[in-house]
Amino acid sequence: MNDAIRMQISAFVDGELPHNEAELLLRRMCQDRELRQQAAEYLAMGRVMRGEHSIAGMKYLRERVAAVLDDTTLLQEDPVVAESDRPRFLRPLAGVAIAATVALAAIFGLRQMTAMPDIDPLQEGGAIAEAGDGRSYTVPDQDDGQLRDYYLSHTADSSYFGASSINARLVTLQLREDMDIESDVSEPQVDDEEAAPAESIDMQTP
Amino acid sequence: MTMRRRNLTVTACVAFGSLLAGVPYVSAEDVAPRDWLNRMASAVQTTNYEGTVIRLQNGKVEALKVVHVITDGVIREKVLVQEGNGLEIIRNGNEVQCILPDKKSVLVEEWNDQSNLFSTLPASDIRFGNEYDVSIVRHGRVAGRKAILLAIRPHDGYRFGHRVWLDIVTGFPLQTTLIDDAGDTIEQVKFADISLDEEIHASALAPSISTENFRWITQPRRTITAAVESTWNAANLPNGFRVVSIHEEKLSGRAVPVMHILYSDGLANVSVFIEPANSNKIARRSRVGASNSFSVETDGYQITAVGEVPAATVEQIATSMQPQ
Repeated sequence: MNDAIRMQISAFVDGELPHNEAELLLRRMCQDRELRQQAAEYLAMGRVMRGEHSIAGMKYLRERVAAVLDDTTLLQEDPVVAESDRPRFLRPLAGVAIAATVALAAIFGLRQMTAMPDIDPLQEGGAIAEAGDGRSYTVPDQDDGQLRDYYLSHTADSSYFGASSINARLVTLQLREDMDIESDVSEPQVDDEEAAPAESIDMQTP
Repeated sequence: MTMRRRNLTVTACVAFGSLLAGVPYVSAEDVAPRDWLNRMASAVQTTNYEGTVIRLQNGKVEALKVVHVITDGVIREKVLVQEGNGLEIIRNGNEVQCILPDKKSVLVEEWNDQSNLFSTLPASDIRFGNEYDVSIVRHGRVAGRKAILLAIRPHDGYRFGHRVWLDIVTGFPLQTTLIDDAGDTIEQVKFADISLDEEIHASALAPSISTENFRWITQPRRTITAAVESTWNAANLPNGFRVVSIHEEKLSGRAVPVMHILYSDGLANVSVFIEPANSNKIARRSRVGASNSFSVETDGYQITAVGEVPAATVEQIATSMQPQ
């Protein structure tokens, strides 16, 4: 099996393969056990990494292949990929189109965050998380007002330099959303058109 | 479809799109990787779009409905979170209303910058230049549109990589992925469906729910002083990072302004906040999405580095800050 066909399978799993190519691929899968196995591995990987029981393409793939082969065993659960097999497929350098499935790897990792109390003497408030490198992190919560201010300020300033990422903007929104607005806003204002302090000056875009 | 046939199809698509757009035809293969970044930068500043965005972050898959219109340079935008509390964001120029249905509140704030939700990666000159390679990886489809995958790979472990799927015809980013040094995805934002440059009715930008009887709360505008001279510098700054901004900023609850130094390698930014240490200790390490922070106390000052970079980068920068 070459990289091109792996790319096709991965694109199919990610729901990115054009319909006509998907049909062609399905026909090939019906005749090629290795292709089916490869697809099943991708699908299973996605499911395992996402921690869900179904992902895009899985039901369609099973039904189509099962119908053609008249093989109801294909409608059973996918095999779980052995841990040792993962790196081979998770590496973009392998030339395999696995954008969505790789994304799920990170998600799976983040889901494994484990509470580790008393790791950080400076830690106050917020949930403690552990990254893959063994370090612990604090996920700022409503009590981390100072830290949250830093994140928001950083995101706002980054945007002036054209490198504020989509995700940074969304993180800002997330932080905003998580704010306890009842406690954060001291002077609720209704229809206030003069809310901005007079001494504020806009930062100039370089 | 063979690779050759795929390329021919892509070329035809670009040619046809160019004819429709009235711009000179250039084949996808003729466009240099960094020129694709230019096309992208131009597209995000001029393109109207409407679609569904899937966002993967922190173990959560989230769907957002997005409408974005630019008229005479004024951005109007609506983002509607499809799950959870139904957060709705309405942007009209610089004013942004965050509608929180569950709290029956509307948070009004000002984004006095020209960025928008999906504008983001830099123009072709990842400005300081040598810390990343930009290459075209392959062609494919995203949101039903022909697209080209651009890889921005860092040369070292001090910054993240990016994979960006760009619409072949317009250069609009259809999918962006942030990649860590192990090659794994940290965050991904992807259009599941999108309409580009089609007529968008004004009603599409209106709030989807009535805010009658909601509580309206105006967030104070950021208070920033003019640029200042820094009395601090980083003794061990990772290659490629440079100071791009120094100013003082009044943050809520602080008696004195906080010094804010922004470093950039042209793509990744790291902010360093310096203020007198006090009893309100903050986490030494923290993470929100792709953003990491590291905080340390030096000479009676609390120094916190924050940025969309690996944890090691913010730690190195924060711990190397020294008063001059």
